Amino acid sequence: MTKRRHKFSKVLFVSMLLTLTVALGGCAGDKEDGDSSRIAIGIPQDLSSLDPNIAEGSGTQEILFNIYEGLYKPDSDGNLIPAVASGYTMSDGGATYTFTLRDGIQFHNGNPVTVADVKYSIEKCAGLNGGDPLISAFSNIESVETPDDRSIVIRLKEPSTVFLAICATIEAAIVPADVADLETNPIGTGPYKFVSRSLQENVVLESFDDYWGEKAHIKNVTLKVIADSDAIVMNLEGGAVDMMARVSTAQAAALSDKFELLEGTMNLVQGMYLNNAVEPFDNELVRQALCYAVDKQEILDFVSEGKGTPVGSSMFPAFGKYYMEELNDVYATDVEKAKALLTEAGYPNGFSFTVKVPSNYQQHVDTAQVLAEQYKKIGVTANIELIEWESWLSDVYQNRDFEATVVGVDASTLTAGAMLSRFRSDAHNNFINYSNAEYDAEYEKALAAEAVGDDEAATVHYKECETILTLTAANVYIQDMCELVAINKKYAGYEFYPLYIQDLAKLYIVE
Amino acid sequence: MKYAAKKLVTMLITLLSISFLVYFAFDIIPGDAALAALGTDSTPERLEALREQLGLNRPFLERYFEWLANFVRGDFGVSYKYKMPVADMISSKLPITVMMALISFAMMVVVSLPLGVYTAMNSGRRIDRLIMVVNQIMMSVPHFFMGIVLTYIFGLVLKLFTPGGFVSYETDFWRFISYLIFPCIAIALPKIAMSVKLLRGSCIEEAAKDYVRTAYSKGNDTRGVLYKHVLRNAMIPVITLWGMTLADMLVGSIVIEQVFNIPGIGRILLTSISYRDYPVVEAVIVLIAAVVIVTNFCVDIIYQIADPRISVGGR
Repeated sequence: MTKRRHKFSKVLFVSMLLTLTVALGGCAGDKEDGDSSRIAIGIPQDLSSLDPNIAEGSGTQEILFNIYEGLYKPDSDGNLIPAVASGYTMSDGGATYTFTLRDGIQFHNGNPVTVADVKYSIEKCAGLNGGDPLISAFSNIESVETPDDRSIVIRLKEPSTVFLAICATIEAAIVPADVADLETNPIGTGPYKFVSRSLQENVVLESFDDYWGEKAHIKNVTLKVIADSDAIVMNLEGGAVDMMARVSTAQAAALSDKFELLEGTMNLVQGMYLNNAVEPFDNELVRQALCYAVDKQEILDFVSEGKGTPVGSSMFPAFGKYYMEELNDVYATDVEKAKALLTEAGYPNGFSFTVKVPSNYQQHVDTAQVLAEQYKKIGVTANIELIEWESWLSDVYQNRDFEATVVGVDASTLTAGAMLSRFRSDAHNNFINYSNAEYDAEYEKALAAEAVGDDEAATVHYKECETILTLTAANVYIQDMCELVAINKKYAGYEFYPLYIQDLAKLYIVE
Repeated sequence: MKYAAKKLVTMLITLLSISFLVYFAFDIIPGDAALAALGTDSTPERLEALREQLGLNRPFLERYFEWLANFVRGDFGVSYKYKMPVADMISSKLPITVMMALISFAMMVVVSLPLGVYTAMNSGRRIDRLIMVVNQIMMSVPHFFMGIVLTYIFGLVLKLFTPGGFVSYETDFWRFISYLIFPCIAIALPKIAMSVKLLRGSCIEEAAKDYVRTAYSKGNDTRGVLYKHVLRNAMIPVITLWGMTLADMLVGSIVIEQVFNIPGIGRILLTSISYRDYPVVEAVIVLIAAVVIVTNFCVDIIYQIADPRISVGGR
């Protein structure tokens, strides 16, 4: 009896060993098969759509950047460079834009890009061939004409100097007029072409041999969905992915020296955003007191090991000419002053409020915790309420049902308006209910200056807007967070962009 | 027959209630599918247009009954987020989760049956005590934690598999299976521990009964008594456990899928919940509920076959 059992356990042991060997053999196979270059990149969520004109979410758009291109596109310094167009001229004070189609440019399916494709794409986004405009800024388009087979003339209802920046977004990508369903058959002009997709698993891309510009260095790119952030380190260490953008400082610390950590900025303004319409935040003195009580450096030290760039208004450094570094020091940490302001405002014993924080952003949660500690010193109690991102979108962003929230606000284009337009009293996305007549007037002046092409005057007015936001303490501005990219040392060439873009074509293999 | 019909009706009512509750829950929790899809880029016009397109502006009951009518006809609808048919989304991922449940179930049966009998036969000896201690530990460790430990030991230290290196069954079936082995061990271990413990206790209990002595007195040897008499009776509670476990494994794999980065039904369910993608969530939950109910039904039947004394129908 016992003998028999013994035999059985032997069989069991051998069969287990066999399965392990199979597992082992399987793994050896997925390293280098074939001679073509490849890289696997982790992405935190699956792409929501493969149609650039309707794709939502920066996580999707930053990847589609590699497949599609607009007439223009941003480079890593934030300049706009020609893409599908080879150049443009502006006339009528910014009311007419004439683009020249790039010679010999092809779609991934081998068809040449024609002016008809461009006309179709722009009209689709502007809602000119029926339907709502897909890009709200494109509702300004009066007409799209193609006088010859090389030029596209776009006439605007109102002159605009920022129109080119909108044309450089991924939403305004040029797509073939004769491909009906981009969702299943994504065809663009970018350096990578689509190969396959498995929902919630991966998206496979391959470099496009007939790309008009500098071709991609790595032939095969697999974008792997890693939905569980706790699995990121294991996936990197185990070799399932070679690169992952936006890893946290904690994850970075857990990585071995097989990986290089690149440090950039997230290009957003993290802050404690205050609902300016609810008590006590409708009182400017209270808001100023909250600003004085904050020690930004301490937050950076606690949350991201000192990495990050403190900011003082709704503008981050990558914006260059619009960014005002001097605003950082307006509210140098001063607990006594904060207390005095609170007393003056009628809250000598402080008050308590609730700060809603999206729980999926650990850095915002950590920041809120440090803030709550700092506010204790001035007698203010901040109760942290963690909410789901979708609840944040509906409660805080849409219904404006909140007192304070810690989030980062980013820009979809490198135009000042992308950061500043939301603080106009009547802006639909003014979720903090900021209302300041002086600000509205200044913003109007900036727009007026832009309309006549006076960029310098516009910049002055935009800077004035930023100053108003700081002086009235619209929000408690904290920092432009640091972005860490973990990349296996076998690869190099990663470039940070001032917008949400992952430029895969620049990556190459280190010999 | 009457019994089966009664069971079927209960099953349908349960499924109906579950589908309604899911719809209802989505109606009261904060969040909005249109807003979740558009995010902070949304403008009031685009939001309104999308809500209109998805039919979110219509009354709750109207939407529910329309969904139900389509569902019954086999039309599961289209995902709000991914704009593809829900049936396609599920059918491409279902084999992954089902395969995981089946492998773990097989592991459980293959390991726990001999181990349970072995410990029962050696009860009180050192080997039995040792196995029971290990057993107790395995039972107390949650499977997701076990998953993390396994990934660390076998993935990172021993490098027997690539963590996150999942390969779809469509690409390479054997690599797919080999990747699933460790996740399945994580799912199976606590269940193995549970059934070993149950089988051991049950065997010891049965072995002490009078009929065993009678069987011996009739001239049976130990093995004969064990397999013909004791095991057959001792299996009854174990079968119940296994039946519940099969459904449990299907659900348990949802958590393990996250740990091992496997894009199965669990991944689809979790992301759809966060995107408020009702059609997908509804379909997945009703499917899981149906599996649980059907498994329980089958267990009842097997129960009856295993032990003719039990009459579930109550003729």
